[in-house]
Amino acid sequence: MYGKGLRTLSIATAAALAVSLTLVFFYAPLDADQGFVQKIFYLHVPLSIMALVGFVLGGVFAVLHLRSGEGRWDAHSYVSIHISVIFGVAVLITGSIWAKASWGHWWVWDEPTLVSFLIVFLMYATYYPFRYAIEDRARQARYASVFAILAGAFVPLNFIAVRMAQSLVHPRVFATADGGLPGSMMLTFLVSLLAMGLLWMTLVRLELTAKSASGQLKRLRRALDAPPRGEAPRIAPEVS
Amino acid sequence: MTPARLAFAAILGKDLRTELRTLQSLPAMALFAVTTFVIFRFGLDRTSLSGSLGAGVIWATLLFAAILGINRLFVAERADGGFDAIRLAPIDRTALFAAKAAALLVYLLALELVVVPVFAVFFLDSAAALPPLAAALLLADLGLAATGTLISSMAVNSRARDLLVPLVLLPLAVPLSIAATGALEPLLAVGGPGYHRFGTWLAVLALYDLVFLLVGYAVFDFLLED
Amino acid sequence: MPALPLDEAGKYVAGAYVVFVVLLVVYVAIMATKLQRIERELRELAGSAEQAKGSQGGGAGPGGSGRSRAEPGSPVADAPSEQPPVDETKPSSGPGHDLTPPGPDDGRADHVEGVPRV
Repeated sequence: MYGKGLRTLSIATAAALAVSLTLVFFYAPLDADQGFVQKIFYLHVPLSIMALVGFVLGGVFAVLHLRSGEGRWDAHSYVSIHISVIFGVAVLITGSIWAKASWGHWWVWDEPTLVSFLIVFLMYATYYPFRYAIEDRARQARYASVFAILAGAFVPLNFIAVRMAQSLVHPRVFATADGGLPGSMMLTFLVSLLAMGLLWMTLVRLELTAKSASGQLKRLRRALDAPPRGEAPRIAPEVS
Repeated sequence: MTPARLAFAAILGKDLRTELRTLQSLPAMALFAVTTFVIFRFGLDRTSLSGSLGAGVIWATLLFAAILGINRLFVAERADGGFDAIRLAPIDRTALFAAKAAALLVYLLALELVVVPVFAVFFLDSAAALPPLAAALLLADLGLAATGTLISSMAVNSRARDLLVPLVLLPLAVPLSIAATGALEPLLAVGGPGYHRFGTWLAVLALYDLVFLLVGYAVFDFLLED
Repeated sequence: MPALPLDEAGKYVAGAYVVFVVLLVVYVAIMATKLQRIERELRELAGSAEQAKGSQGGGAGPGGSGRSRAEPGSPVADAPSEQPPVDETKPSSGPGHDLTPPGPDDGRADHVEGVPRV
């Protein structure tokens, strides 16, 4: 059920990524300030936007799960958060590389967006140990949904607080990322954003399909009365 | 009184009476905080604190001491079937959330009643900053009470109970910490309490409190489902 | 903010894109391993189900206690034997999704969605 359209989605993603890469390196002009290094922006920012969107979606699916009680929404919530955490790792590493190239330091506390993102990442990283510490599966799903909702509410508050904590003296490093982008850069950025969005959806679909297949396998095994496999019972959320 | 308010009062009363009688959390929290001050004195090699350093030390100490209490918040409910009692009673289960959060708030205020004067004696030159400090801490405690109650109620039903509360609560408390120390820092300035952006930070604290009290109110029912 | 000369800046940009690609490849590799395992288990299940069906048809009728759930007519018992045997070799397509399993005797189902819904 989840695997339907996965091939089309993957092809579209690959195409979009290819187009965006071409635009980044052959079409977008060099930034006057940062030069070639600015090209990281087309990778880093779309990844971060998709990660944050994914976290919010994780909260939305969690609300759906609590209201309907259907297990598939919990699976959607878990997978959304999971893929977004992976994207988050990429965001932090590429952000760090960009900081090193721009400022000469692997980490800068001056950049409020990056710092906020670090905190959000740390928050969602606790999702796994939290989830897996709860043994009863139904309760695990419910608590995880509550966590996703709490964390979703936390994200905007966090950005507000961190931004306010910035001393007003420091200039915004990535001011070029916001308004004032020339048209060609904006186009490249939007295509990159689209590509990352498609990538996110593809990976979520892929993960859901794999989970669904595992779940079906378990049902088959039980229905066939086949002997259970020797491995320890998995506690990750199940999809059937 | 409506049944919900009756339940609220009953649970709150029970908690406060129990704590008063057994004194299982508060003395430990207070002692922990005071000892932490001593560690900070030597760790930072300072005998007086002001500004951001002072704000950081007092807030971090209170936060970590609070976690000790939060860990223990629902232990009695879990051990003695309090959760089941609430589930069976014909009342709004959110009364449990409100009562426990209120109890936690009382514990935090009681903790500060002891710890903040000690902090002033150890590290501050004058007590002029204490009243506005107390106001800021009150708002911060409210946010801590809301989130602490939520996390604690989930952690108590898990395997790694004592681990989960610090793990999950600390990142959640980051915006709260930023706002609390933001408000406290100018209060502890060397020349005398300043109020730079005090109102703004209090507003952020209030926003945090509002958001998590509302979210807690909305989701607590689902936490108690069996 | 002086722009770095191209050869220096290039290292950082390359580094960032390499990190991205590596993460992606690692993820795909992990998913591939998972899918392989699912396939292997499916094959084993199909094998054991066929065996069960064979012994059930040949042996005593109602005595099969363990097999009573997989009664004939249940789609579960039938379906795995409907799966094409292991010489199915249509490769999974999908860019970057190299699901080629290392085992020499592995066949590959096209999509795991072929698993019948019970």
